[in-house]
Amino acid sequence: MSKAYEGPLATKFIGTPSEIYDDKGDFWVVDFPRSITHHHTYGLLTPFFKGLTEGKLMATKCTNPECTENSVWLPPRADCPDCYARTEWVEVPTVGKIYAYTMLDYAGIGIEMETPYWQVDVQIEGVDTIFKGYLKQGKPVTGMPVKAEFRTENPTHTILDVCWVPIEG
Amino acid sequence: MIKFGKGNLRVPQWSRRVFMVAGGCTPFRKYFPEYKLEELVMMGYKMMLEDNDLKMSPKEIKDQIQYCAYGEFADHFQDQLLCEAKIHDYLGLDPLWNNGIKTGGATGGAAVLNGAMAVASGYADTVLVCGWERMDEVDTRTGNFYISTAACKDFETRMGRIYSSYYAPMANRFAEAYNLSEVTRAKVAVKNRGYAMSNPNAQQPGHHTVEEVLESRMSAYPLRFLECCAMTAGSASVLLCNEEMAYKLSDHPVELFMAGGTHTLRVADRRHMEIPLLPNEPEGMYDDLLAESGRWPGFESFLAARFAAYLAYRMAGIKEPLDELDLVELHDAFTISDIQTYGDIGLRPYGQEPDYIESGDAYYGGKCPSNLSGGLLGTMHAVGATGIWQAAEVLWQIQGKYDKFHGDEKWWQRAGKEKPADWKSLQVPDAKQGLWISHAGVGSHVTCGILRKAW
Ligand SMILES: [Zn+2]
Repeated sequence: MSKAYEGPLATKFIGTPSEIYDDKGDFWVVDFPRSITHHHTYGLLTPFFKGLTEGKLMATKCTNPECTENSVWLPPRADCPDCYARTEWVEVPTVGKIYAYTMLDYAGIGIEMETPYWQVDVQIEGVDTIFKGYLKQGKPVTGMPVKAEFRTENPTHTILDVCWVPIEG
Repeated sequence: MIKFGKGNLRVPQWSRRVFMVAGGCTPFRKYFPEYKLEELVMMGYKMMLEDNDLKMSPKEIKDQIQYCAYGEFADHFQDQLLCEAKIHDYLGLDPLWNNGIKTGGATGGAAVLNGAMAVASGYADTVLVCGWERMDEVDTRTGNFYISTAACKDFETRMGRIYSSYYAPMANRFAEAYNLSEVTRAKVAVKNRGYAMSNPNAQQPGHHTVEEVLESRMSAYPLRFLECCAMTAGSASVLLCNEEMAYKLSDHPVELFMAGGTHTLRVADRRHMEIPLLPNEPEGMYDDLLAESGRWPGFESFLAARFAAYLAYRMAGIKEPLDELDLVELHDAFTISDIQTYGDIGLRPYGQEPDYIESGDAYYGGKCPSNLSGGLLGTMHAVGATGIWQAAEVLWQIQGKYDKFHGDEKWWQRAGKEKPADWKSLQVPDAKQGLWISHAGVGSHVTCGILRKAW
């Protein structure tokens, strides 16, 4: 038969008391603060994010001869949703045309660019999707030619490592 | 999917008819610290049980419930996983089966659809559909970031951390493609916020002018603050039944037809495809439009909404939506998403969406008024509750109870507000049939529900 623990029981509170945020009514609202880090994998799409740090736009293409679409995907995807074949990596042009845009003034918390800035959706020849990014300088109009720039030094390892600038002339 | 397979367009055939008999909701507020979440849910649930002229006592109705479909958008906001279990226990409904439903902004609609499937299949005769959101535990910009994590976190979220920036590019495209002026967009905000003046539960009612809307602070160009809904704390419930129970419980049951559609989360990935045609749209009617844009749904339209309407109209046997619907409640989270939807659900053909507003059809007294409840812009977007509350508003219109639930001093007092001296009834005379749309971020999930007078 196991014996109950007989040592001293002296648990100390080592946390932080919750601050009262609002007690102006008949209720208490208390603060639950936190700071959390997630470890997020890029999985099979890692070559895309690596590509950005090397100044390349890597897309995926379905090359399955049985596939009805053989689409080129940017954002890339490892598996073709039309035929379920594994896709292949292809480098796509780093120039395109503005398809849509917005000037972002009021952004959510944690925004990593100075506001306001232009968010742009770029149509790239040979790519079946329209790629979202941001314009580093200039003012977008629909159809305006743009080229990609990459943050190859001090990359963020996120989608913010690519942006667009107008092609002059 | 960009090409439909043989089976994909089958119209749902429910094994049993489905009815809605009662609805309830809380007042909607930006900050609602007087009540815990489960207490707010109880408030809307009790209103559903007690105030809908049902022919059984609240306890007798509770004793009839067999299944619950619960809508909650984001565990982030509640800061509680498995909130459904806490709510279900609080409502005293254990051990009945419940399902938690999550489809972004369409969560409320999806919960109604889920509850309807339970009735239609025979799993249950009496179903509680209930939803909630408590968006007041964090500040607005943190809330905007939480919501933006419903965009693609690898390729989109970082680009704005706010949903207005994912709709705004659509607004600019739409303006160029279909000749939409910002004045027409502003009129949607003026209309819906104005209608919210008659709703005791409304969070952001106001008699605004087009100029005020256009002069309000920019969120993401061209969408201004007054064109965007706010964050809300609140809850809503509706009661669904099979035919027998519907007439036992109510002298004024309403029949429900409903379907849903989805589309890729990232607008970027929406490849060109064929337009599924509504019953009133002849083959080839969009050939010219497609020749010009080269891309459908592009950034202008929502495949998910079109697909949901494609199915729901056929389920309900509706041929001419504008003629056969007496009112609609649309998901006006943003003025632009409201306008985009007019084409998707056939209130106008694609390309002519602005005319639904400009013609007057969309106004009280018009051919098919929209968002007399005040909509999301004027009244609420407590996300998990939204599509359920919209259904309740359509239900009450068809039951002729608009005044009962909006004009009675009791509700103004509950909301802690004074009924305006110029309060105006927005009851649609002799409303027989209405539709509501529940819509998730940039059209990733959309449900289309149709309610029809059944007495
Ligand atoms: Zn393929």
